Amino acid sequence: MYKVWAIIRREFVERVRTKWFWVSAILGPVLFAGIIVFQIMQSVGGGVRKIAIVDAGKLGYGTRIVEALGASRTIRADGVQLGPAVLDSLTSLVEAKQLNGFLIVDDSLPADGKAEYRASNLSLQTTEELQRTLNRVVEKARLEGKGVNPAVVDWAQALRVTLDQKKCQRGACTKESAGESFILAYVMAILLFMAILLYGVNVMSSVLEEKKDRIVEVLVSSLRPFQLMLGKVIGAGAVSFFQFVIWGVSARLLISLRVPIARALGADTASAQTMALPHVPFATLTVFMAFFLGGFLLYSAMFAAVGAMSSNEQEARQAQQPVTYLLMIAYLSIIGLTNDPSSTFARTLSMVPFTSPIATPVRWTAGSMGTGELVASLAMLVVGILGVTWIAARIYRVGILMTGKRPTMKELVRWVRTA
Amino acid sequence: MAEPVIVDRVTKRFADHTAVDGLSLSVPSGIIYGLLGPNGAGKTTTLRMIMDIYEPDEGSVRLFNDVAGGRTHSARIGYLPEERGLYPKMRVLDVLVFLAETKGVARKSARAKATEWLERLGLAERRLSKVADLSKGMQQKVQFIATVLHDPELVILDEPFSGLDPVNSQVLRDTVIDYRRQGKTVLFSTHIMEHAEKLCDRLCIIARGKKLIDGTLAEVKNTHGGKHVIVAFDGSQGNAQQIFADRRLVAKFQDFGQQAELELAPGADAQEILKALVESGARLSRFELASPSLHKIFVDLVGPEAATAAAVPGAESARGGGARV
Repeated sequence: MYKVWAIIRREFVERVRTKWFWVSAILGPVLFAGIIVFQIMQSVGGGVRKIAIVDAGKLGYGTRIVEALGASRTIRADGVQLGPAVLDSLTSLVEAKQLNGFLIVDDSLPADGKAEYRASNLSLQTTEELQRTLNRVVEKARLEGKGVNPAVVDWAQALRVTLDQKKCQRGACTKESAGESFILAYVMAILLFMAILLYGVNVMSSVLEEKKDRIVEVLVSSLRPFQLMLGKVIGAGAVSFFQFVIWGVSARLLISLRVPIARALGADTASAQTMALPHVPFATLTVFMAFFLGGFLLYSAMFAAVGAMSSNEQEARQAQQPVTYLLMIAYLSIIGLTNDPSSTFARTLSMVPFTSPIATPVRWTAGSMGTGELVASLAMLVVGILGVTWIAARIYRVGILMTGKRPTMKELVRWVRTA
Repeated sequence: MAEPVIVDRVTKRFADHTAVDGLSLSVPSGIIYGLLGPNGAGKTTTLRMIMDIYEPDEGSVRLFNDVAGGRTHSARIGYLPEERGLYPKMRVLDVLVFLAETKGVARKSARAKATEWLERLGLAERRLSKVADLSKGMQQKVQFIATVLHDPELVILDEPFSGLDPVNSQVLRDTVIDYRRQGKTVLFSTHIMEHAEKLCDRLCIIARGKKLIDGTLAEVKNTHGGKHVIVAFDGSQGNAQQIFADRRLVAKFQDFGQQAELELAPGADAQEILKALVESGARLSRFELASPSLHKIFVDLVGPEAATAAAVPGAESARGGGARV
């Protein structure tokens, strides 16, 4: 065991010493900080859209809309009366990026409820707010037309209903919107895919390096090939775990510092406070880490075998393709998985060990998986890991001392059977 | 004391050929043992079986009177493979400590021993350099230190002299002799007979996976002797070629240019050859009755085509993907 420990430590220390480890360790938090700053900046001023309200009529609906938008934090509106060449000059302002867009209304607005918005860029946020404002203006005008006191209308419209969204799954309800759980599942799937692929390939290149640099013969004279493979996989796994910890801790730190950051940027601290952050329950985090570890063990055993059967990078790149495709299947199914996490397709993917490391955390996050199914999926994964490692270790054992041409499929089968 | 290495009728087959065929040898304790043979004879395969890297198809290997195999005894064995290799991106000291750890040496004492060895071989100030930044000779030294760092009782060296310059060869020879003085056992393979002749107490010559002869250096020379004469010229060789070709006087000869090694024909007298040479006008700087050189015995046994060093270039490493382990 002391010998395996030596392999693990070398793998870990040498990898953590490389430039690339620290580049990606720092890049993660930098990216995350960028997202936070961007969100804050949006609420400061970068996000304010300048638009013109063009009134083609005489009843003053344009002015009413400008007034109604007066309280808006994201839209600043100015009223314009339609005249000759007004539309053309506004269009050229939009093209020159001095104006975000303009809204055209006329006197028939309360009668047929139609208006037109022209802009260089149609953002959902702006159009939704315009629509809401127009609805209120029209509602008020129609009620007034039927003789209702404008003060009463204002009073009626002053109240906003807030919908408290809660997600109920597995007997507990948490504050999480549908959009948030989708994003969380999606981000998780991408993280899992990248981490498994990246660190799996690391194991492969490390095996290949030892084989190419002829170190492996000295090593297998004192360790069993399986011990060597185990040490490499655990070592590389520990590095990726360490990477995750760095990312996780810095993300937590940045989130807890978001209010001071907002203050430093001169932004409204309340907006930083209410920033949309997906709520990650502890159970989800555990499932994520368990399946990451499982997926990593499964795939890095395969990548180790690929490294052992190749004699140079080109060969390894070719030989790794089938393994990568296997992982791609799960990755490419993310959209399907998140759209309908309880379909037969999704259920199948979360039972097959090669796809379950990605599919199961996604389905769990989406809330369509019971504990029973989760346990079954995990059990299948463990069986898969044992089987794949058994085969990979045999290929590894023969492959690491082999030079010359790459083995054919037939030879590989013979290695596995006779090793 | 039991023999550290006993190889008992081992056979190893690869997909397309038999690398070792029923080979037996035993290495007594405290000597330098040479495993000799042309390229492709099966030396590396034999050593790999001793080290438990390959499993023999037939026969068995016993180390320190135990069948458990090289990996179990790895703390007592130092192994220098034919294909040298170190981690190019690691620091010298780190590589040495790591490799000692894989033999079970504790980190702290590995560090102390590595520093001591680096000083002894004049590499102390390079201990924090990356391996890739060292010259090839220095890397070989580091590799050798890695082999012996854990103070093994048995050292197995596969072609240790290949790629070494004369100075480093000498350093290695001195170290090997020093090892024997300490009562340790050295088993090494080579295809260069001069090294073997200077170092070996016992030897075994193999070709095509089979043993041709083994024993002490003296035994091998006696059983394969015949009377030998070494002749060296100083300028004119007179009628030497003609005299050497006379089958009544000379049974076989090997011509090295300015020097020749003759095996006398049965019943021939060396004095007659000397007389004939002098009369033909040859100028001699040396005329010596001798036992045959190992080189001569080797060539006689193996055949001249296999004796040239580059007989089968790369034969040991080009065996392709069909091997079974």
